[in-house]
Amino acid sequence: MSCRAKILLVVLMCALNAGYAATNDWFALGVEYTHDGDFPGAAAAFKNAAGNRPAAGTFVNIGLAEWNRGHAGAAILAWEQARWIDPFDTRAITNLKFARQVAEVESPQLKWYESASTWLPPNAWVWIAGASLWLAVGALVLPRVLRCNRRGWHQTVAALGFGAFLFGMTANFGVVGRTDIGFVIKKTALLLLTPTHEGEIISNLSAGEPARRIWTRGNYYYIRTSSAAGWIDKSQFGLVCTEMEK
Amino acid sequence: MKLTVRMSWNKIILPFLIGAPVLCAQMPPQIPAAAQAMLQIQQPTVDNTTPVTAQASFDPPLIRAGEKTFYRVDVTATESAIQWPVTLPAPEELKVTAQARGQMTQFTGNTFRPLTTFLYELQPATAGQYVITNFTVSCAGQPVQVPPASLDVVTEALAAPPPRRLRLQTTATNVFLGQPFRVRVILLAGPGNQLEALREIQLSGAGLMTDQSGTRQSIEVIDDNGALRPAFISDLMVTPIAAGPMALTAQGFTAGREFSGPISIHGQVSLPGGPPKYILLISDPIRLNVRPLPAEGELPGFTGAMGIFIKEPPVLSTDRLQVGQPAHLKLTFHGEGDLTRFVPPSAPISSDWQVIADPVPATGFTLIPLTDEAQATPAIPFCAFDPISGTYRDLSIPPIPVTVIGEGLPVELRDAEQAGDDSVPVKLSSLAPAPGKSVTHLTPLQLRGWFVGIQLLPVAGFCLLWQWDRHRRFLEAHPDLVRRRKARRDLRRKKMELQKAAAAGDAESFIQLAAAAMRIAVAPHYPANPQALVGGDVLARLDSASQNGGTADTVKQIFAATDRRFAAQAKPPADWLALNADVEAVLQQLEAKL
Repeated sequence: MSCRAKILLVVLMCALNAGYAATNDWFALGVEYTHDGDFPGAAAAFKNAAGNRPAAGTFVNIGLAEWNRGHAGAAILAWEQARWIDPFDTRAITNLKFARQVAEVESPQLKWYESASTWLPPNAWVWIAGASLWLAVGALVLPRVLRCNRRGWHQTVAALGFGAFLFGMTANFGVVGRTDIGFVIKKTALLLLTPTHEGEIISNLSAGEPARRIWTRGNYYYIRTSSAAGWIDKSQFGLVCTEMEK
Repeated sequence: MKLTVRMSWNKIILPFLIGAPVLCAQMPPQIPAAAQAMLQIQQPTVDNTTPVTAQASFDPPLIRAGEKTFYRVDVTATESAIQWPVTLPAPEELKVTAQARGQMTQFTGNTFRPLTTFLYELQPATAGQYVITNFTVSCAGQPVQVPPASLDVVTEALAAPPPRRLRLQTTATNVFLGQPFRVRVILLAGPGNQLEALREIQLSGAGLMTDQSGTRQSIEVIDDNGALRPAFISDLMVTPIAAGPMALTAQGFTAGREFSGPISIHGQVSLPGGPPKYILLISDPIRLNVRPLPAEGELPGFTGAMGIFIKEPPVLSTDRLQVGQPAHLKLTFHGEGDLTRFVPPSAPISSDWQVIADPVPATGFTLIPLTDEAQATPAIPFCAFDPISGTYRDLSIPPIPVTVIGEGLPVELRDAEQAGDDSVPVKLSSLAPAPGKSVTHLTPLQLRGWFVGIQLLPVAGFCLLWQWDRHRRFLEAHPDLVRRRKARRDLRRKKMELQKAAAAGDAESFIQLAAAAMRIAVAPHYPANPQALVGGDVLARLDSASQNGGTADTVKQIFAATDRRFAAQAKPPADWLALNADVEAVLQQLEAKL
């Protein structure tokens, strides 16, 4: 490898790692703020880190900072986002159980295929579905194209591939359905009859209460909770897969 | 059974009867003795039994032609009860230049009696005696006769003083809409320098609002055309509420010694004795020009404040507070404007703060943080209009940095019972030491467009594979195409080698390569291995016209030269390289048939 190519490679790697370095800086700053008891500063630092690179540990720490500030809704949302990235994160699972017990709010009600989609990270299902489909198609088509003798294991691989594809597709539907799940992040958020500031109040929602977004209109979401449906201001409701603002 | 019931009631009532002397009743509110006396005084009633009377007179009854006089009608009834005619039954020569009407209540010892005066300012142009005949007006459904009054107008000058009238002075005549200004109503002392009070003062003029609460009364000595005379002065605050030119006049009743409210007296004053004589007086009009406020340059937060105001730095009771804890923001303004009508800035709307304005005339706010995300108090836009420069002055209150502390939630349950069941942890986890597993975006791949594009790549690969297999099957069905393609490819290679041999002058190689190229060119037609073909096979594939000509000779010479190694006596090599052009022509002819 020539000297010029080595320099180009080093510059490329530095550029790619710049975002990760900034993420780690914000993360370390957030840890420092947390140890100092400055939870608003810690939450802001961790949110910057998550904005650069969403990570399960970062969201766990956002939730801890928000919880210590008294923002139960924002904390539950952050821990759900941590579980969205890594369903096996034990800290997020533990904290969600604890927070729901203290705040007396329930978990979101999932359909069976949405529950199945929580077994793996959301992006894993789409790769599983894609790979299994083409594996099955390849197992059926390639032996004929390549003029190989058809074997039993070709059929087995194709059958398993199609099976994995069908299950993966249902899980993918579950993932897409879960993107509309969100949580009330403000205390005493208002559920309104109309998407206007002066709309008639249907009920008050607790911080951390789950709901499913149905429609969006202007600055309002039409959501359905376990007990009611109505409009809520966007600033009072956070979706799990909403991109963090950089 | 009846006896039993009676005994039960006795048991209930008896304790109350016994305990009544020792029970303490609720004490009534204590009213001072002076207040009780005031409450017990019978207030005078309004006299509505005495028949209504009317009086009419000219003031003065003798004037010079061209001078002004007043025709005054006093009716002892309320103004609303009187149906006054629109036009007076007066001669046409009496030109009405102004008119007014006013009402007051006069105290007649033990009753109040209303008095309404209708006043007309007349200016006869010619001399003569004018009479306004008697006429009838309806007063509460009853006819009331207004007596006749006569006026003598002469041509010669008279020594009598002009009729009494009020004087009106203003601090400004060219004002902006909403700009308060002071109006001074002056009643000069009458004959003998006897001063009278003025009651029921009214300023008339469309688009003007009078603030009676700011009225100041005084008695001063003023300059009346070079002579110093005492005068009763009433200062009122007037605010124009409509733009454009307008006329301002004043009216009021003389009231003798009946001064109402505080009054400041400067100099010597002679007050008349006896009962007061209530006479309605008016003033000459003053022309005002009211300009609208300029639209350009208007700043946010304008509440109508007029004047030159200066704001002091705002004072916040604390800069560190908890969510829900109120803090008071004190605002102080001072300046040259009218602070009695100063409208403080309105409470701003903020999602992070609950803002409660102090009751007017205070200018502070109570601020309650609703979230610990609030880092500063909300900005309060405010401005005032400076009528001198005609511009708006910014008096906005800037945000003040504060630290708002949130109320934390429990991080650990005190006992396992609070956890409900064993699956619920009793405390929160510790901090994550590292970011851990990460993604580029929270939005899943399923909802990103580029991922759908990636799924097309395997489809394209399978399509290519299918096309390749189809082409391969086609070639298997048509082997001649494969042979011809291979022959063309080999022929191009041999021709290049042939040219190189000719250029190098290698005649032996030239002959061998030429023969090999010819064999390759005709091999697919048989089909046969090129090595198995001879010159006759090549000649058979030439055009019929070329089989006996020079082309055939070239082919024969080439193959004869290649066969000379099999001859018994080797012939000397001819100038085979001279055949290069002919060989090229033969090869072109053969290649065209491939």
